[in-house]
Amino acid sequence: MLSENLTWEFPSSAEEAAGLLLRPGALLHAGGTRILKTCPKSVKLLIDTGGLGLDYINFTDNAYYIGSGVTFSEIVKYPAKGKSLPLLQSSLSGAASTPLRNRITIGGSLKDFPLWSSLYAPLIALKARVEILTDKPAIHTVEDYVSSGIIKTKHLIKHLIIDEESGLISGVKKFSILKFQYPAFTIAIALCMKGRMVEDARLVITGVRNRFMRFTKAEEMLKGKTLNELTLEEVHRHISPSFMSDYKFSASYKEKAARIIFMDLFKEIKGGMR
Amino acid sequence: MYKYVNKPAEKIDGLSLVTGEEKFTDDFTYNDMLYVAILHSGYAHAKIEELDESEALKTKGVAGVLSYKNTSSILYTTAGQGYPEPSPYDTRIFNDVMRFVGDNVCAVAAESREIAEEALKKIKVRFSLRNAVLDFEKSESSGIIIHKDDNSHAKIPVYFNPSENLASKVEASVGSFERAFETAPKKLTCTFYTQYASHCAIEPHAAVTWLDSRGRLVIQSTTQVPFHVRRIVSSVCQIPISKIRVIKPRIGGGFGGKQEVLLEPVAALFTWRTKRPAKLVYSRKEVFTSARTRHQYRTVFKAGYDTDGKITALHLDALENSGAYGSHALTVLSNAGSKTLPLLNKIENLKFTGKGVYTNLPCGGAYRGYGATEAYFGLGQIVDMVCQETGEDIVEYYKKWTIKPGETSPVFQALGEGKEGVAMTIGSSSLEECITIGARESQWYEKRKLYSHSTGYNDGRYKRGIGMSVLMQGSAIAEVDMASAYMKMNDDGSFNLLTGATDLGTGSDTILSQIASEVLDIPLSQIVVTSSDTDFTPFDKGAYASSTTYLSGQAVKKCAEGIKKQILKTGAEMLNVKLDLVELKNGFVTSKVGLSRVSFEEVCRYSFYEKNQYQIQASASHVSPKSPPPFAAHFAEIEVDSMTGIIQVLNYVAAVDCGLPINTRLAEGQAEGAIINGLAYALFEDYYFSEKGRLLNDSFGKYGVMTAADIPPVKVFLVSSYEETGPFGAKSISEININGALPSIANAFYNATGKRLFSAPFTPEKVLEALEK
Amino acid sequence: MKISININSRLKELEVKPNETLLSALRNNGYTEVKCGCSEGECGACLVLLDEKPVNSCQVLAMSIRNKQVKTVKGIGTLYLPHLIQKAFVEAGADQCGFCSPGMIVASYSILKETGNRPSKEDIRRGLDGNLCRCTGYVKIIEAVGMAAEKSLQEETQKPEAVCTNM
Ligand SMILES: Cc1cc2nc3c(=O)[nH]c(=O)nc-3n(C[C@H](O)[C@H](O)[C@H](O)COP(=O)(O)OP(=O)(O)OC[C@H]3O[C@@H](n4cnc5c(N)ncnc54)[C@H](O)[C@@H]3O)c2cc1C
Ligand code: FES
Ligand code: FES
Repeated sequence: MLSENLTWEFPSSAEEAAGLLLRPGALLHAGGTRILKTCPKSVKLLIDTGGLGLDYINFTDNAYYIGSGVTFSEIVKYPAKGKSLPLLQSSLSGAASTPLRNRITIGGSLKDFPLWSSLYAPLIALKARVEILTDKPAIHTVEDYVSSGIIKTKHLIKHLIIDEESGLISGVKKFSILKFQYPAFTIAIALCMKGRMVEDARLVITGVRNRFMRFTKAEEMLKGKTLNELTLEEVHRHISPSFMSDYKFSASYKEKAARIIFMDLFKEIKGGMR
Repeated sequence: MYKYVNKPAEKIDGLSLVTGEEKFTDDFTYNDMLYVAILHSGYAHAKIEELDESEALKTKGVAGVLSYKNTSSILYTTAGQGYPEPSPYDTRIFNDVMRFVGDNVCAVAAESREIAEEALKKIKVRFSLRNAVLDFEKSESSGIIIHKDDNSHAKIPVYFNPSENLASKVEASVGSFERAFETAPKKLTCTFYTQYASHCAIEPHAAVTWLDSRGRLVIQSTTQVPFHVRRIVSSVCQIPISKIRVIKPRIGGGFGGKQEVLLEPVAALFTWRTKRPAKLVYSRKEVFTSARTRHQYRTVFKAGYDTDGKITALHLDALENSGAYGSHALTVLSNAGSKTLPLLNKIENLKFTGKGVYTNLPCGGAYRGYGATEAYFGLGQIVDMVCQETGEDIVEYYKKWTIKPGETSPVFQALGEGKEGVAMTIGSSSLEECITIGARESQWYEKRKLYSHSTGYNDGRYKRGIGMSVLMQGSAIAEVDMASAYMKMNDDGSFNLLTGATDLGTGSDTILSQIASEVLDIPLSQIVVTSSDTDFTPFDKGAYASSTTYLSGQAVKKCAEGIKKQILKTGAEMLNVKLDLVELKNGFVTSKVGLSRVSFEEVCRYSFYEKNQYQIQASASHVSPKSPPPFAAHFAEIEVDSMTGIIQVLNYVAAVDCGLPINTRLAEGQAEGAIINGLAYALFEDYYFSEKGRLLNDSFGKYGVMTAADIPPVKVFLVSSYEETGPFGAKSISEININGALPSIANAFYNATGKRLFSAPFTPEKVLEALEK
Repeated sequence: MKISININSRLKELEVKPNETLLSALRNNGYTEVKCGCSEGECGACLVLLDEKPVNSCQVLAMSIRNKQVKTVKGIGTLYLPHLIQKAFVEAGADQCGFCSPGMIVASYSILKETGNRPSKEDIRRGLDGNLCRCTGYVKIIEAVGMAAEKSLQEETQKPEAVCTNM
């Protein structure tokens, strides 16, 4: 349980919220679903992000700007044009449950990166960037945001930036036995094509030992080739995620399953191209 | 032919439920109420050396602490069974020995739930740890005694030996298994495992208690067994039965999980001592760990059979993990034999041996299927194996070898509930038709052939298969269970029906009204039902053993017939014709000669105010001489991803004989619910424990419950038969259909892959393991 | 702390604690038609409409929804003026114990609304993916939502949405 001795603030601008965040024991509140689960004891002040006006999805300069207050279901319902956003939509449409998606926000899901995240794999595959507000505003790639530990610092997430890539072909799959169940892992593949040639490849998995992993060897292998030049086995060899065992699945099973699902997805994407 | 039974009548509480008008236990709040929270053991096996509650008691808003220090050490069983219970008396409300992670250390009552929970943290307990038994197969030889010198004892003369960790032991035999097995031309020996499971009723267990204006204790709780609650609370809390009233409000599902007296004594004691209302509601985590579960089982089947497939010898040896306390340990065990072995009644040499062992793990209890689910997993595959060996189609095999109307099985008599059973001949069965319909609707013959190894259909990654199994259960416990009903007539021609029967969401209030309506030929709206209030409704043993429609229904039928007689008598008197010349029709007493008639309203007015006045009223009790089995044939079609090991159910068909379904829609609903629960149990529901015996998946999310988005197409066919001893020919339907998924899917798996699954649930890893064998 | 919320079309001032969930605030204020099956966001018994969208009220901190609109199952229809969906649930036998029903009705209401009364079977299944029911096996629930959709389509032109009229 959260402490009863809590105060709430309802700032109306991002700057104001960022300022309040400097107070001791301050925590941003978005959907609240994670806060209610972890119930951090140290929290004295909850800063509600509902009034910050960060619930926009804009498309400008060939990029999507998705405010941190946007919920998963708002993204899923957004009439997307282009190739990038559908990958994210596809992943988020399978996240949690219908009522939870109405509550879970982008900001809360970025700041808190659970093993079952439906957000990170597609974002990393899309080379998405995140704009944060601290004492000095900054834009990081989502990958950097996690790897460099910025995720752990106190800051306000303003929005996500996802570039539209016209040559993109992509897909995402989660692994769970039931529809509404914390997925064991999520795999996203994004290939940037130039004609029939792979110009850039991002192969990402989340739910692994180090939270996320990119199959860089396989990515390198793909670059500069057409999809028909490569046999699946060649790519397959470089898909070796490392997992932790849990009560439901052993690490070795998850590794096996991840490789199969990766290949399934890869085949689907390849098939979809024809 | 019928007007009110055998119809898809709407539930009488339906609209109130779906508009949120009906109240469940936790919806009741009383002035000045205390909230109770329980401290549970974090250790699997430990003795409390010291319990210091002083800091908790000093907390503002705390009204009291209950523990072994200030509560009675009376032994009882939490199993809500008839008296004397066949489950061992091995439980105290609070004990100084903790026998599983989740056992009760003590309880705090406070002005709010938050304060109670805060106070729990201030209780200091010093434990001395003991070695724990976490593997039920090693319990007997572990050298660790779980109920050591604690006076645990059996209430009835049955084998009970806590010094060997034996909570129960059952043996029965017919013919000579050994001799027949020895000489059998073909033999099979297989070991099967079934796992723990939670009932997952969406409403968590709860109890609210208070004193009425005359100082009597009122208990409102989520119970399947209000009368057993009254009796058991009286005995453990030392409060006379005359001073206790138990009211069952709406219940949010039970499935056996609420056939247990767990929370009531704790809340009752707080109320009794403080004179204040008290409320105790389990969190979902508590339901998973501290309430009851399905027992874990190992079953070993030995079968000897002829080259033509006739099984000549069958031995079922069952080992049951009772958990820390022996609730239902004996009866679930005996039912593993008694609800399965009679199905193949032509087997002349049968043996059943079973043991229920204590472990330091969560406690088993009653769970829909009640031992039968556990045993059918193996039995259904043994039959398939015999058929594979002899080349006979399993559908034909079951038609030939299963029990038929007019036939009996010696097992009925050999295996009872803690005593000898009751001999019985089958009066009704439409099993053959069920098998035929199921085979047709599932396209059995075409698919079985298509998916068999020889066609090459299954050479790829995805392999399809179809499998089936045949099941039976029972309807009430013969010569043990009693139900009763009371009815009286009101001046507008309506009736009050008071029954002890317990509607858990099963719809029994509606079904019992339909039965009364049919007898009296009046619409459902004219029957006002009150059920399960120990002050007002007559005794009923409660909702378990698939008994309510069959047993309580018959009590209501008898009762309504009593009313009918009186109405006819008074009607005849009013019409001035002979008793045998009047009949009931559409709410009137009508003369068979001439056109004269009087309405029910007139009859009641007359009986109240005019002449020879009396209250038209009747009561009736019913005990059944039999426990007529419902039958079912289940067909599952699956697809196995041989690379990931994931099994997908493509289609599920069940044809069920529940006698005459009183309410066709509710009967279908019972079957559908049980099937989906059975499928989930077969595929993934399980308990995972840490090395120290702590349950790891103690939430819906971690446990995994199917939603509407996950269910496969399920088709249920009700195939009526007529059971002479049941109301209008009815038998039961609530439990049987949870038993089919395990054997049917396993047999489908064999059809798809040529491999057998011996351990449930069929998780992807286990499937891959089986495929690699 | 006092907050004002519009509940079932009436403006209410509720006294809530800063750490209290909407579920707890509603139940403590007499809206016991909203059920609690887990308080972890995993069963859907606590579903309410928040600004017309279904949410798990156990996953919402009450303080965060000041001035918003909440609808419980009774805001959709009452015993005295039931909504088509509620009638369909009873007709189809989608109500066994009924503990999941208030949440199921809220989810179903939203499915019809989102799909303009034209949900596919898959829309229904997916739209109910946050609601557990252990009694029915969902077969009749899915059927009920389909029935309600059909009836709503038929009546769409004739009848305005049911409103709460009990005083
Ligand atoms: C039952 C259940 C199942 C779930 N299943 C999935 C799933 O399958 N896939 C999936 O992806 N997720 C899933 N989730 C959601 C996930 O676990 C988190 O609960 C969710 O992502 C948190 O989002 P929120 O908006 O509720 O955040 P909050 O709980 O409000 O906040 C979470 C954290 O983010 C911080 N924060 C919030 N907004 C900002 C901001 N703008 N800038 C900086 N920091 C901020 C908060 O301070 C807090 O530390 C599930 C959740 C539940 C309850
Ligand atoms: S009580 Fe909210 S989802 Fe279960
Ligand atoms: S009807 Fe009982 S949980 Fe759905």
